Amino acid sequence: MPKRSTAARWNIPLPKSIRENRGRLIMVLLLALLPFFVAVVDGQSMASVLANEASMSKFIQGLVIEILILAVYALSYDLIFGITGLLSFGHAMFFAVGAYLTGIMLKTFGWSFWATLGLVIVAGVVQALLFGIVLPRVKGITFALVTLGMASVFYIVIQSSELGEYTGADVGLQGVIPPAFLEPAGHRLQLYFFVLAFTIMVYLLFRRFVNSPTGRVCIAIRENEGRAQMLGYNTFYFKLAALTLSSITAALAGSLHTVYQPIVSPNVAGLGLTVAALLIILIGGVGTLDGALIGAAIYRLLDFGLRRFVGESASFINGAIYVAIVLFLPYGIVGTWRLKSFNIKQGWGRLLAFVRR
Amino acid sequence: MNAFFHSLRKNSVLWITILVLVAFFATAAHGMSTKDWVITLLRGLSVGSLTFLVASGFSLIFGLLDVLNLAHGTLFMIGAYLGWTVYVRPDTFIDILTPAALLASGFVLAPLWEVLAGRLQLGERRKRAWPWVGLLLAVVVLFLTLSRYPISTWDLENFAQSPGTYAYMADQGQRLLPPQAEFEGISPALDMAGILFGSLLAAFSLAGLSASRQPADRLRIPWLRIGMYVLLLAVGFGIYAVNDTLSVTLNELNTTWLFSIAVLVATLGGFALGALMESTLIRPLYIRPIYQLMLTLGLSAVGIEMVRALWGRTEFIMPKPALFSGAGEGCPATSLSGWLEHQCSTIFLLGGRVRVYNEILIPLVGIVVLIAVWVLLKRSRLGMIIRAGVQDREMVEALGINVKRVFTFVFSLGIGLATLGGTLAAPSLGLSNGMGENYLLNALIALAIGGLTSYPGSAIGSLLLGMMQQFIIKYGQIGIKLPFLAEPFKPTPPLVPASTVLLMVIILLVLPQGLFGRKE
Amino acid sequence: MENLLEIIDIHTFIGQYHILQGVTARVPKGSITTLLGRNGAGKTTTLKSVLGLTAPGKGKVVFKGREIQGMRSYEIAALGIGFVPEHRAIFRDLTVEENLKIAERRKGDFGRKQDFIFDLFPDLERLIRLTGSHLSGGQQQMLAIARALVADNQLLLIDEPSEGLAPVIIEHMIGAIRQLSADSTVLLVEQNFLVASQLAEYYVIIEEGKSVKSGKIADLVKDQGTIHRYLGAA
Repeated sequence: MPKRSTAARWNIPLPKSIRENRGRLIMVLLLALLPFFVAVVDGQSMASVLANEASMSKFIQGLVIEILILAVYALSYDLIFGITGLLSFGHAMFFAVGAYLTGIMLKTFGWSFWATLGLVIVAGVVQALLFGIVLPRVKGITFALVTLGMASVFYIVIQSSELGEYTGADVGLQGVIPPAFLEPAGHRLQLYFFVLAFTIMVYLLFRRFVNSPTGRVCIAIRENEGRAQMLGYNTFYFKLAALTLSSITAALAGSLHTVYQPIVSPNVAGLGLTVAALLIILIGGVGTLDGALIGAAIYRLLDFGLRRFVGESASFINGAIYVAIVLFLPYGIVGTWRLKSFNIKQGWGRLLAFVRR
Repeated sequence: MNAFFHSLRKNSVLWITILVLVAFFATAAHGMSTKDWVITLLRGLSVGSLTFLVASGFSLIFGLLDVLNLAHGTLFMIGAYLGWTVYVRPDTFIDILTPAALLASGFVLAPLWEVLAGRLQLGERRKRAWPWVGLLLAVVVLFLTLSRYPISTWDLENFAQSPGTYAYMADQGQRLLPPQAEFEGISPALDMAGILFGSLLAAFSLAGLSASRQPADRLRIPWLRIGMYVLLLAVGFGIYAVNDTLSVTLNELNTTWLFSIAVLVATLGGFALGALMESTLIRPLYIRPIYQLMLTLGLSAVGIEMVRALWGRTEFIMPKPALFSGAGEGCPATSLSGWLEHQCSTIFLLGGRVRVYNEILIPLVGIVVLIAVWVLLKRSRLGMIIRAGVQDREMVEALGINVKRVFTFVFSLGIGLATLGGTLAAPSLGLSNGMGENYLLNALIALAIGGLTSYPGSAIGSLLLGMMQQFIIKYGQIGIKLPFLAEPFKPTPPLVPASTVLLMVIILLVLPQGLFGRKE
Repeated sequence: MENLLEIIDIHTFIGQYHILQGVTARVPKGSITTLLGRNGAGKTTTLKSVLGLTAPGKGKVVFKGREIQGMRSYEIAALGIGFVPEHRAIFRDLTVEENLKIAERRKGDFGRKQDFIFDLFPDLERLIRLTGSHLSGGQQQMLAIARALVADNQLLLIDEPSEGLAPVIIEHMIGAIRQLSADSTVLLVEQNFLVASQLAEYYVIIEEGKSVKSGKIADLVKDQGTIHRYLGAA
């Protein structure tokens, strides 16, 4: 017997889109109320939250801001890898360009925040073109290696002493002045809602993209590029489109990261961050979009928790946990959850049997 | 002759590219004095050789097993640290041998366990459960016993006893061994018995995990394996008995011999590690390549952390063996015989000063390995199977050949090459946590240039990479005289990796499969 | 005459797809038996199931009186089964000689069979040093069949040997297969009914993953009705 939806039970004809996204809407609501909730639990007043003086609330806000920025970054990676099937080992570069550019523009050139964002978007397009040069000729692993090479070069260049006066060389760019209305110390709540709104916008945009004809072609490219080409699609343009959207989003995430943390360390361009993106969507579920969000939360919280309670050996345990997740949850959290609801337990059992053979 | 021209025409793009590259490097060399380009050439060969050792292993593993082993760089590094330990602290090495032998002993009898485990008549539920219980118990026992086994190492907190200090002392020729570590709180006999027991239990439990899926075989007593078991035990106990003497002997051994031993140990250790990795972690994931990738990445991270935990974060050196470190009279040598006689570290070649270890030995080893593996691939039956398997795994299996065993061998070979490279590189590069990543990146660029699954490609790609790197570095020192610039252009350090990546991109644009890669 | 190979009601799954839904076939020793059926009926999968490349989920495969279903492919092949797959699958980078030598199961197999093979396929002797990629389609097919003859294989599984070959070459190949069937048993998959009927004694028709009819070829050629129903254009 089919399950009756809650809407029917309440007898309110909710529009389909709201009904289907119940969970996500509730999540958004919770996140919006979180700063206040934490303050109340901590014994502070609502007013202190609004005045950005509730310390516990500010701390939690900061954590969530980090998670959201990471989530947008992971979403951008899911777009090219999970949806379009383009394996890239240079994603950190997209993020880092946004971070450094924002830092440099705000600090050295004194640009306004919005003008800087505009420039970051342009930079995102340029980056995508840079990676995309080889796309018509090069596929799969080789493309991944090219991205790795480019990102590694970027990582070295950004730390070079020649550019030191702009980038702060291997120490990092320090003393960036974030825009006043988003200043993380005194206006953290504003920043919190700004980042939350940004995340929601990106998520909706990506959802829209995936469900659009363009998005579907990208999925087709992931499944079987040859067949998509035979259907008459110029796959290069589609891949480039996905790459561009991804690059812009990642760069903007980098911008926000600089606003939140006005010290840009070269690590944002390192391989570690690229691996983090891959890891996050693997944990959450490749190609599910939701998975990027959940994965980011788990990643950051796990890192935070381990570092707090275990300290030194955190990285080691981190690595071990990821190895375990990879071995035992191949479809990621969202992926496995979705599979279960299709009752593919049979197929799963056969898969395991096949693996063990 | 006809076939040659036919091949020439078919691969015209390839030949033209090669011609252009040769012309490019010839011009680059022309712009330097003889002694400069000789040194640059040799240095290029040196970097190229080390890159080749990493790249060839990676390429073999990727070609046959379709595994992107991103942990390869970490294994290169582990090789270096292992070799260092044997070379600078042979007593640590000797101390480790005994528990290692005892630990491995139980696993040697694996075939016997598989048969015995298959014959266990138990209820369905018990049959699934007991291996895990056994494994857990084994882990506990091994943890308790191994942690109590005394191994004299170093103290990361104490500068006077840090790896760096030991390295420095060894370099000065003052090899003072710390006092031997003693058993505390447990008798040696009990500890070793515990390790033996834990090993047997673990191996048996592991067999239990896989035995339930295979039909029980006929019980043939594997005498060979039992012999190996007894041998391992003998080695373990024997070394324990002569521990002191052995350590002192090694410590006072001519460093060239000791170095050779270190290289051998590191290479064989890599082999063993590779076999272990392949059978436990890689094999289950052959059907899910992306997860394999994540796994190797995860292993890489874990490996780096382990190295950090064991050897610390500070960089330290590995002294060059005696044959290459002389600096007294008669040095720098002016001829090969002069070098042999005085064991100089540098030699005059065509007007330039060349470091014997870095610029002569390393390329030499690279060439030897190149030829050796080439012979293996082209002339042996195993090599034939590998080459066929790279093309069509299924067909090879349909011919009655157990491809899985070949997989394990190739994986071990690849890892062994990497650890060999690491130990070889250590006296030249020093030891640091990041050395692995650098060389993996180099190797990947080299493979992209040469062709990901091509063995000759890995050689040529590495060579090109090494050359490009060193030429840019050299020109960074002497400057390129460009017609429209007043001052010579000196490429800055960041341009070094940028140039190799640029080379890679250009070649890929012209030949998307790399120089010798297969057109998909 | 005893059966060298018995396929008893096998079901084979590839992923979620139920490809073979009950195939039964018996291959008498010393004969050439052919699997017939339309494209996609499951003929190649049947061969692969015998060899264990796609293991049957249900049912039995009995070779020389021994149950082989569930065994590893290389173990099955080593029992004496040679495989000539669709599209030949010769190793492009290996020379003709290497392609043959790799099929050895005991040392010296190739040396022993050399004369026999070159008698059957004289071209191969001439081309012995060329790599697989330089051979024409017909030559590759010869090589693929020759490769299955190197080791002592009592059963040969041959999949679509005439595919993509010129009629003249097919004639030569038919002669060769007839000759080698004197010493070996052959289970053939052949889309081309003319070729199949010239070679085989017995047949089994497979339709949509099930075996539907079997018998002697001599009887089938007279039975236009059956031919039309199962082998004609859909």
